[in-house]
Amino acid sequence: MPLMVLGTSSNAGKTTMVAVICRSLTRNGMKVSPFKALNLSLNAYVTLGGEEIGMGQALQAWACGREPCGDMNPILLKPAGKGVMQYVVNGKVRSNRERPPTDELVAAACAAYDRLASEYHMICEGSGSPVELNLMDRDIANLRMAKERDMDIVLVGDIERGGVFAALYGTWLLVPEDMRHMVKGFVINRFRGDPEILQSAIDRVVELTGMRFLGTMPYTDIILPDEDTISARSGGRYGDAMKAYMDSLDRLADIAEKELDMGAIRRMVTGV
Amino acid sequence: MVLGATSDAGKSMTALALCRIFSNMGYKVCPFKSQNMSLNAKVTAEGHEISMIQDLQCQAARVEPTFRVNPILLKPTADMRSQVVVEGKAVGTYDVPSYYNDFIPNHGFRILRENLDALREEYDIVVMEGAGSPAEINIYEADIANMRAAEVADADCILVVNVEWGGSFAYVLGTIMLMPEQDRRRIKAILYNNVRGNPAGVLEGARMLSERTGIPVLGAVPHIDCHLPQEDSEFFRHTSSIGEGKDVIAVIRTPRIANFTDLDPLYGEDVTVRFVTSPEGLDGCGAIVIPGTKNTVSDMRWMEANGLADAVRSLRGKVPILGICGGYQMMGKMLHDPHGYEDPEAGDTSALALFDAEASWITEEKITVRDVGTLNLTGEEVTGYELHVGRTVTKEKPLFTVRGEPEGSVREDEMLFGTYLHGVLEKNPFRRLFLSLVGEGVKVTEGDRYDDDVEASIAKVASGFRDAMDMDLLKEIAGVHRCR
Repeated sequence: MPLMVLGTSSNAGKTTMVAVICRSLTRNGMKVSPFKALNLSLNAYVTLGGEEIGMGQALQAWACGREPCGDMNPILLKPAGKGVMQYVVNGKVRSNRERPPTDELVAAACAAYDRLASEYHMICEGSGSPVELNLMDRDIANLRMAKERDMDIVLVGDIERGGVFAALYGTWLLVPEDMRHMVKGFVINRFRGDPEILQSAIDRVVELTGMRFLGTMPYTDIILPDEDTISARSGGRYGDAMKAYMDSLDRLADIAEKELDMGAIRRMVTGV
Repeated sequence: MVLGATSDAGKSMTALALCRIFSNMGYKVCPFKSQNMSLNAKVTAEGHEISMIQDLQCQAARVEPTFRVNPILLKPTADMRSQVVVEGKAVGTYDVPSYYNDFIPNHGFRILRENLDALREEYDIVVMEGAGSPAEINIYEADIANMRAAEVADADCILVVNVEWGGSFAYVLGTIMLMPEQDRRRIKAILYNNVRGNPAGVLEGARMLSERTGIPVLGAVPHIDCHLPQEDSEFFRHTSSIGEGKDVIAVIRTPRIANFTDLDPLYGEDVTVRFVTSPEGLDGCGAIVIPGTKNTVSDMRWMEANGLADAVRSLRGKVPILGICGGYQMMGKMLHDPHGYEDPEAGDTSALALFDAEASWITEEKITVRDVGTLNLTGEEVTGYELHVGRTVTKEKPLFTVRGEPEGSVREDEMLFGTYLHGVLEKNPFRRLFLSLVGEGVKVTEGDRYDDDVEASIAKVASGFRDAMDMDLLKEIAGVHRCR
């Protein structure tokens, strides 16, 4: 099954989690590809093919040992100020103001996804929280995409600012009932201390939701680079910044393989 | 009672706004937070230590702070260990398990109840504030800062959520649904905080959630820009400098930095305050401030190890250097800690040696006092407060005179200043003197500008909340139905 990593909030650690899963599976011999249907960003990465994609997907592609390509992030929203958005679909400006019909965007995202999925195991990333009640009917990057391509969903919650159990349980509760069975597991990110003290709360969330606890990712000061430090322009593509990035990623993948149930994640992806 | 779905949800600002709003309505109101974890403390008129934010909320409520508004203050000294201050006095150091398994059951509930009862006796309205999330179900029964406090007070609660990070509806629903029924019933309204731009979308989602939970929406409060002191190290996660002036004041951001609200009065001046963790950070600076720390000894070792200590020494006499409390202790030659009161690794540690002075930890007794004194160089008045265990013996000229006694150290020719007085930059005279030595001389904004700024910010926050809230609902929750 394809995997969809969703966050309980922005900045929960989705991008890094997808990159780390990509890295771990790749170095264990699997052919994987990142995917994010839609990105909201001013800072895009330009692929060798000249397509603009989100920087996160470029980092994730490198984690897979692959060149980033446009299909990894088919829809890009670029804020043009005053609430106006430019819609870039498959690398071309589709609209400078009007939001294209949701179904058209979903079709474009699915087509790009299918081109990759014919060759790779797919590790997908959602966008923001998947349960923003006022946006859910037109949110395509999260539950819609997961439903379209029947993905296994993993929730990532950030414990650093507290309330992580509320965030995980609340997110699960707000997922439409007919989709809850797709939410297979959860990860607690950025934890400091002894995970033992969380156990009773973790057990409770498992009991309430039936989600599988996939582990806590410890807080680290390993920060993945942004577009300024690793980019084609700075020569980073094959330079020192790239090596530093891959070293960081390998350290994170080592941690993930120790702390997370990577076997379960791997089984979700391979379906065996 | 104001609860938050996360840390940094905006509980403190909401409680502050409520204090001012009820005060404006003519009620006798005070804040209360049973347990606060913070490194920013203030001293009450009676010499008790409380958290900075409750002190500020008292100002919003227009009442004189006492220890009762924050009877338990936790001051982290190391990862997972905190000094515990009870009713304004330090009582010892606990790690997480001993705090929850020993301190809370044996003392916590009693302290909570006694202080809350005393405040309810004296005030019309007590605006309580929770801590972190009230739905940390692994510590739920020992969490005296949230629902246990609500239970003791039989308080109705408002749940505040910060919408900036997204996922706010999930946080709200999860928080409510993880509580047992009898606690859930206390949540009377949801407040969506820190909304940037048009609140229509947030309110639409909020109403959809209300239909599901039956709990009404109190409002969607816009992001409010204001200059109130910032709590805790959250602040540093996204901030490396403040201000845009050409002259840079480098603040050494040590791992155990404390009472960094001392720096707040600098943020409104025509300087850039830069938080520095490495020697390179001092490049081109026009002044250095070494702020207070919860652990002078370990922070001094940190400065030696990363080269900051030598970098500071090399700027002696070239730029003005100010050390406050722990920073002043570091400016001496030696830190004597024979019993390990300051740091478990007991012993002597050499310090910056900018002053002919030495700091010692010979008793565990902490000095907590408010001061009014004189700036010896000009004869003008200064105010501040002291919070320290170590004592400094100095052969330098005293910077201040406090209660007829010399306080601090100064070397005018080398522009070196050291003092135990927190808040020393708030009043104009010393800030003016210090800034006049920065670069070609930075002019302070005259008048009691900093105090005025704080007061104006409180008013701004209160009116921002008032305009965004359903005031009828708020009055109903608070049980107030008329203006006095």
